Amino acid sequence: MSGVPFSLMRVLLIARNTLLEASRQKLLSFLLVLALGLVGGAQSFREFNFGASELKFLADLGYGAMAFFGAALTIAATAQLFFSEIDHRTALTLLAKPVWRAEFMLGKYLGVVAVTAVFCALITGLLVAVLWSRESTLLRDIPDSFAQGRTLRIVDLGLAGYLQWLKLTVLAAFTLLVASFSRTQLFTVVTGFFVLVICHLQYLARDAYAQGGSTFAQVAAGLVGLMFPNFQLFNFADNVGAGIPVAWDRVARVSVYALGYVAAGCGLAIFSFRKREI
Amino acid sequence: MSTVSLDVPAIELRGLVKDFSVGLRGVKLRAVDDLSLRVPAGQVFGLLGPNGSGKSTTIKIILGLLEPTAGGCRVFGVPSAQVEARVDVGYLPESPYFYRHLSGRELVRFYARMCGLAGAKLAPRVAEVIDWVGLTEAADRLVGTYSKGMLQRIGLAQALVHDPRLVILDEPTSGVDPVGAAAISELILQLKAQGKTVLITSHLLTQIEDICDRVAILDRGRLILEGAVCDLVGGAERQALIVEKLSPAELQELRGWLGLRGRTLEAVAAPRARLDQIFLERVGRGEAKNPEGGV
Repeated sequence: MSGVPFSLMRVLLIARNTLLEASRQKLLSFLLVLALGLVGGAQSFREFNFGASELKFLADLGYGAMAFFGAALTIAATAQLFFSEIDHRTALTLLAKPVWRAEFMLGKYLGVVAVTAVFCALITGLLVAVLWSRESTLLRDIPDSFAQGRTLRIVDLGLAGYLQWLKLTVLAAFTLLVASFSRTQLFTVVTGFFVLVICHLQYLARDAYAQGGSTFAQVAAGLVGLMFPNFQLFNFADNVGAGIPVAWDRVARVSVYALGYVAAGCGLAIFSFRKREI
Repeated sequence: MSTVSLDVPAIELRGLVKDFSVGLRGVKLRAVDDLSLRVPAGQVFGLLGPNGSGKSTTIKIILGLLEPTAGGCRVFGVPSAQVEARVDVGYLPESPYFYRHLSGRELVRFYARMCGLAGAKLAPRVAEVIDWVGLTEAADRLVGTYSKGMLQRIGLAQALVHDPRLVILDEPTSGVDPVGAAAISELILQLKAQGKTVLITSHLLTQIEDICDRVAILDRGRLILEGAVCDLVGGAERQALIVEKLSPAELQELRGWLGLRGRTLEAVAAPRARLDQIFLERVGRGEAKNPEGGV
């Protein structure tokens, strides 16, 4: 057993440095600005009538932008910030210090999670402002449609943003797992997007498993359903847009569910990176 | 800090073998082949060899960055695979590349904290090593704006900030001008005077000869020569006398004088000043601490 204990301080130092590095990257800033621009400009789309209420449309658009750009940001940031350390050999200098590889991986992971947290917080904040402003206008212009007062609750809007962020933390853990054994950044990004698609369609595998079929298909569907998290569980935007309150117990269950997959993803990433030749 | 006895060698390699798998078929490429070596504590040790001879692979194994295929490696008696083995080690990689978004001071501070330095000791120690490598004036500039020589210097600062007993320098003079190379030599000799062990790889053999106590030469992963520099380059049984130019008659007279004493004049040559010496005299070693140039 080594005499150097695992240090949370070192993990946080690496995470802070990763966040700082990410803040200087043009691609990540571009994605953030694009998402903020889309959400901020959402009111200009209200002339279109998609058959849904206007507030629900705005909420769907906002959370949709958060999900899409957030996923792109998470995969790109995880791959880029990991491979910049490997390709530029800064990992060489860092791991030549009394630093555990697990500390390095967790630090990188927490750095990316912090990036996604900033992203989701900014988008959620802007979305709340846009929705609140529009609802205030509608309340004034067509009070008959809001006989029971405001339909949107800030807490629910925040919770929906939190769950979107939680989904991104799971995606970051899986992308880091791919990066831990991948030789190229491109492979990591492409595989990360495959993981994203599989996780969004995972419920189909669960349905197939439940409906039966050949033994092989059942086993395959069961494995996919177990290995990959169901990202549909994190989607509360429909409820929030329609003014349906978010149940706290459901939020708690999804949080535990996400934590389990994050722990599995990070654990496997650390195990895979343990013997990697740098 | 480690509490290992001073009698323990700084580095001990025993039958070290490292194979790499190459290509899809996994063909084995042997980078280090049965290498056994002891680097005594307190010495400056040169690890020499042509490109691809296994020097950098050996260093990575010493630092625990690579796992040997066979054999063992200990640093101050601790197996190099353990994190504890790196507590007393400072490392400057070849062609160092550091976080460009940090200033020089932030970078050294970051590595210092990674090594456990904290509290009231942190800032003075960071300032001390930055001053020691001559980067005080440029310490608050972003590393991304540093020249090659300045990167080497900030690399030295991060390697030394936690006051390690063993300093590993992989090609520290690569791409550095002669003034910078001379400054690095001086820094290494200062480290030796402080009782530190230095393991250095370099293609500048003149520099190695000037500063190293012992050297080992690798070729294709194998140790082909190892020993004290003074023993390897010889000179104990021979002398060179430098005098003003002698006429042919005087030279003949000198031969006769030596012959009477059973000696022979083996060679007569006009000594030439070394170009690097002329360069250093003209450019001036005092400029070695100029933040923009050298090292």
